[in-house]
Amino acid sequence: MAKKMLDGNGAAAEALRLTRPKVVAVYPITPQSTISETMAEFVDFGKLDAEYIRVESEHSAMSACVAAGLAGVRTTTATASQGLALMNEVLSMASGLRIPMVMPVVNRGLAAPWTLQCEHGDAMNARDTGWMQFYCQNVQEIFDMILMGVKIAEDSRVLLPMMVCFDGFFLSHSMQKLEIPTQEEVDEFIGEYVAKNMYLDTEDPMFCCDLTGPEDFTEMRYQQKVGMDNATVVAAEVMDEFAAKFGRKMTQVESYLTEDADAVLVALGSMNGTIKYVVNKMRAEGKKVGMVKLTQFRPFPAALVREALKDVPVVGVFDRSSCMGNYNGPLWNETAGALTRTNVDLRHFIGGLGGRDVPAVNVERMFNELLEIKAGTRTENTEWIDLKEGAMEIRQVTKYVRD
Amino acid sequence: MLQLKFFGIGGQGVVTGAKVLSKAVSLYEDEYAVTIPSYGHERRGAPVNTSMIVDKEPVLLNSFVYEPDVVIVFDPTLPQKNVNVANGIHEESILILNSEDPEVVKQYKDMGFKKVYYVDATAIAYKYIGRAIPNSSMLGAIAKADICSIESVQKAIAETFGKKAGDKNAESARETYEKTAEM
Repeated sequence: MAKKMLDGNGAAAEALRLTRPKVVAVYPITPQSTISETMAEFVDFGKLDAEYIRVESEHSAMSACVAAGLAGVRTTTATASQGLALMNEVLSMASGLRIPMVMPVVNRGLAAPWTLQCEHGDAMNARDTGWMQFYCQNVQEIFDMILMGVKIAEDSRVLLPMMVCFDGFFLSHSMQKLEIPTQEEVDEFIGEYVAKNMYLDTEDPMFCCDLTGPEDFTEMRYQQKVGMDNATVVAAEVMDEFAAKFGRKMTQVESYLTEDADAVLVALGSMNGTIKYVVNKMRAEGKKVGMVKLTQFRPFPAALVREALKDVPVVGVFDRSSCMGNYNGPLWNETAGALTRTNVDLRHFIGGLGGRDVPAVNVERMFNELLEIKAGTRTENTEWIDLKEGAMEIRQVTKYVRD
Repeated sequence: MLQLKFFGIGGQGVVTGAKVLSKAVSLYEDEYAVTIPSYGHERRGAPVNTSMIVDKEPVLLNSFVYEPDVVIVFDPTLPQKNVNVANGIHEESILILNSEDPEVVKQYKDMGFKKVYYVDATAIAYKYIGRAIPNSSMLGAIAKADICSIESVQKAIAETFGKKAGDKNAESARETYEKTAEM
């Protein structure tokens, strides 16, 4: 186990290399580009024995990976934002065909307005495509989650693709210290790829993805649902196995100082580090706050979330995506579903959009609002927590205005 | 915990400089550093900044630095580009400045920094690498301010830039370290 300094993209590329994919097809897009460049270098310099397919778009990248998966090899790509949106049609092809690939998604907002920067809107847009989604807090988690992801995805009880999501720039370009196991240790952990379910064999030909009538479609969807259900069980096993082998434990739903908490924040991604920092600070001041960090978002671990939150008086859910027209954000919705018929006062926050920072001071403000609600000195929370004053005046047309 | 903020202009290697320093303290000094770059739609010549947090323990915070203990300025003309490098400083905050002009150093000192470490890092960089990219040389000035040892800085530079470029950059850091003065 060697200690290294890498940014999130560097850690993702290194982890993917160690999983020995045979076909790599990555189309560069900010802030993912250095993953595509590094993977290309690995292949060019002989550090990875794989076919690197130079594709003309993300739609083609995912198509190439699906075909490679059907042919019977481990395959991978990576993307962000518009790239993930362009892949969308093929995403459900990968999941429906039960291709167990792992794809880093470097979270960046969707245009318009154009942004290159962090939020979860891109992954949330793809949350119902049949892919698993796991979110990372730091660079070590990106590395570890990719290794675990391969093992979870390829488990014969699951056979589904996984997005390993991490925050653009805040993680993709953040240098952090991490531990990297040897190739032998990784080989031992994930094992050699075995094509299950579907593969290309001229001696044993099969149909796949033929036009399916109503007599079979529901059952095939149900098989996928069972795979998704199993993923929650398998992920727990794999996380335990990883901890036993490498000494680092990730959990699907992490509760931090929640037992006696008056107020808890729930979030995905890099801001969980900042939230934990603020919890420590406020606890030292005698304020009873806690954190529930979700690593697993798809399949949504409803039972675990319910167990973690059911006895907390006031819970705030922080969504780093806007989800227009949704009644509150996607993480809030899922959490609310998990907390049906409990007495939890569930509140919603939106922030950190389009690259806006989530500083400790804003996290503290959310906690203080939740504590005031618990104390009965406040009724409403500030949903758009980092909205500037005069929001409606920004970029208004002032010349030749038409009513 | 030590919070640092690097300011410069695109093309000076500000982000790379912070990355190399993060290696120096994390790999050769048994501390933990994270860098959090602030990317805009950058281009050469535009003001850029990057944040860095150093601690004995793994760093939890993942946000920009707003109240820096150490401010590093790669380009002394930033105030003319409407960048306030003294934003959020406190009475213990120190400055590491790429300028030897006494008037400029005085002007920065008057912004409220407790101490200013100053040197013409661009001139030293030019002498060693033939280009006005002061990122490696500025790391020598940072070592002078006791953020980490000059040996660790030199090792991290060698690790990042490889043998040939690494040696020259490491030498420029060493000379800058020796020439850095305090006010």
